[in-house]
Amino acid sequence: MINNSVVFFVASFFIICFSILSLFLKNIIYSLLCAIIVFFSTSIIFYNLGSEYNAIIQAAIYGFAVPIIIGISIMFTTKKIYNKKESFISFLTIFFSSLFIMAFVYIIMISNAMIPNTFNVANIQQFSSYDVLLEFAKGIFINYVWAFELLSLLLTVVIAGLTLFNKKERHYKSKIGNEKLKINHKEAEIV
Amino acid sequence: MSDTDFVTMYHYLFLGLILFLIGIIGSIVSKNVIKVLISIEFMLTGININFITFASYCDNYKFDGYIMALFYVGLGAAELAVALYIFYLMFQKKESDCMEDYSN
Repeated sequence: MINNSVVFFVASFFIICFSILSLFLKNIIYSLLCAIIVFFSTSIIFYNLGSEYNAIIQAAIYGFAVPIIIGISIMFTTKKIYNKKESFISFLTIFFSSLFIMAFVYIIMISNAMIPNTFNVANIQQFSSYDVLLEFAKGIFINYVWAFELLSLLLTVVIAGLTLFNKKERHYKSKIGNEKLKINHKEAEIV
Repeated sequence: MSDTDFVTMYHYLFLGLILFLIGIIGSIVSKNVIKVLISIEFMLTGININFITFASYCDNYKFDGYIMALFYVGLGAAELAVALYIFYLMFQKKESDCMEDYSN
């Protein structure tokens, strides 16, 4: 585990700044890019906390897979988005507001009135990566095996359900198309 | 608090709280459906930071928080896929990505 303060503050600044940016940017593609930076910075935070496995999963799923799904859905749904322009003042406002939030967090954290010394009893645990991986395997395959199986079942149901929805929709559309064709044929015969 | 632990548990918890609050504000304020979904993912990420922080600081031997965070990542991805597909089906009827058009 690293628990480096420089890594923590840089990554947390990126998380706060780009999460605010992704909410208030008008262009949806830019907000998606900001969300990707937030998810990667979160994986750095996980690595800083000593959980390499979670960091890799966060970077793989939230950093790559989820933005691809969102990007494809943006391509299918949004049409007139690329002409919107952002003003430089809004970028500056969001940048300094996130700096202010970071300073606020830092002031609260270093004040002994908020967190007395006697209250902070938790110290970070030092484990090797092998121990963490071993406990992961025990947790997934022994302690939480039913929850893990339920999650995999849920993912399978999601995939099967989406495929069935798509098939039903196509069948419905082809049925409507055939009826329209029949009506057109009848009209042509009448004429 | 020892002198060597400059970054304490509360720093991480506050970061998770701020990310969760940004997600709540974004899901309330945003008018775009995709931005609302991104805000929900921010909320899930804030919860994951809290899980892993408690597992790293307070759990001595079992690392349950790591596994819970793993489940949350899987659930978040499944939820996002279903929500985006429902949005795509609704978009074909309404032809709009604004939340107000889906209220009726």
